[in-house]
Amino acid sequence: MSGRDDRRVNDPLDLKAPPGQARAFSAEDEDGGIASAGPSADPEGRGRDDSEKLDQYLLRRYHLHGDRQAREQLITMYLPLVRSLARRYASRGEHFDDLVQVGAIGLIKAIDRFDLSRGVELTTYATPNIVGEIKRYFRDKGWSVRVPRGLQELNIRLNKVIDELVPKLQRSPTIKELAEAASATPEEVLEALETSQAYNSVSLQASLNGESGEEDAGLIDYLGSEEEAYDTMEDRTTLAPGFAKLDKRERYILHLRFFEGLTQSQIAERVGISQMHVSRLIRRSLEKLREEIGDLDGSQAGRFPGADDR
Amino acid sequence: MSERIALEVPAKLSALSTVRMVLGGLGERLDFSLEDLDDLFLATDRLLQAALDAEELDHLRVDMVCGDGELQVAAGSFTSAGLRAQVAVTPGGCIDLCTLLRRLLDEVSLEEHDGSFTVVMLKRGSGNRE
Repeated sequence: MSGRDDRRVNDPLDLKAPPGQARAFSAEDEDGGIASAGPSADPEGRGRDDSEKLDQYLLRRYHLHGDRQAREQLITMYLPLVRSLARRYASRGEHFDDLVQVGAIGLIKAIDRFDLSRGVELTTYATPNIVGEIKRYFRDKGWSVRVPRGLQELNIRLNKVIDELVPKLQRSPTIKELAEAASATPEEVLEALETSQAYNSVSLQASLNGESGEEDAGLIDYLGSEEEAYDTMEDRTTLAPGFAKLDKRERYILHLRFFEGLTQSQIAERVGISQMHVSRLIRRSLEKLREEIGDLDGSQAGRFPGADDR
Repeated sequence: MSERIALEVPAKLSALSTVRMVLGGLGERLDFSLEDLDDLFLATDRLLQAALDAEELDHLRVDMVCGDGELQVAAGSFTSAGLRAQVAVTPGGCIDLCTLLRRLLDEVSLEEHDGSFTVVMLKRGSGNRE
């Protein structure tokens, strides 16, 4: 415990912070969520008490004295938690930064609504608020038009059912089979599939389209053993008009579908995503291609150099 | 025994949803797989989008014939030489409309009528493919 007293409180807000305020709460320390940002990451296990004291102190300052700076410091302090939670959802197609912003709204709501008398940690209270806000964002913003909740849920259920049925049947399921497995009528299945067109497929590709190294690493994971074939394809497609606007995975999937002749299910298995996701990515990629090469001569449209030499 | 359905929708992108729903209903009756239907939807969408881009149209006319394990879709009549070229010709190695239609469908042909043409597309259910 001797080290605790040696710490110097760097309090830019000039708050009379309690003893033990740790450097771990620095706003710059944002790489590992609250676990590493807060004292719970302290290998000696001393930090948690510090964390609770500081949280409670700032919460008291804000709720009892209306100290807005305390509120801002709490927000800054807990942004790593928001980032950590947002990262869990980043693979679902929305931009990571957008998810952080949405999650931050959940954090702010949690701070504003926090009840000091309940005696719970802010982390405990904030986490479901942040996650809830992110989930709400997916539910509301993920659809480019308003789709009834029942159809959205059926669509989500269908995604799972398709993933289960394809390996079981060793082929793409029929609408009747989907309806039976999803406890719906064929008409409902068709309607749900149609509404999935309204899903914001723009965001679907973004999960592996970002700029961070982590997301690029995910792409390599998806490609797995196909990396060599992918590289060969890549040499050709990097020169193709319009293809520069597609990310690597989109180019790869289009290549597999339209030049290798693989079915969506086969592509899904190879790339490691669902068949529905492959379907959406193909549509989106073709749309991007169409937009990009709209002004080009048709003979150059989406050309895979050398693809006809195969 | 074949069944014929004629559909006329406003010439706008939002109307393609109606076309897909009708195609879906017919495909369901033919026991088309999800992928069969998705291919048919994509091919029809791309053709009709290209037609909307190429021509000033009031309506889109789509005739569907539901046969034995196969669905024929005829869209037209169109007059654009550009659209005709897009459907009929591919320089090879491209993901252009011609390539797309031929990859997604079992048969694609043009029917000519006094300066206009109809694009006829055939999709067989994967269980009925030769």
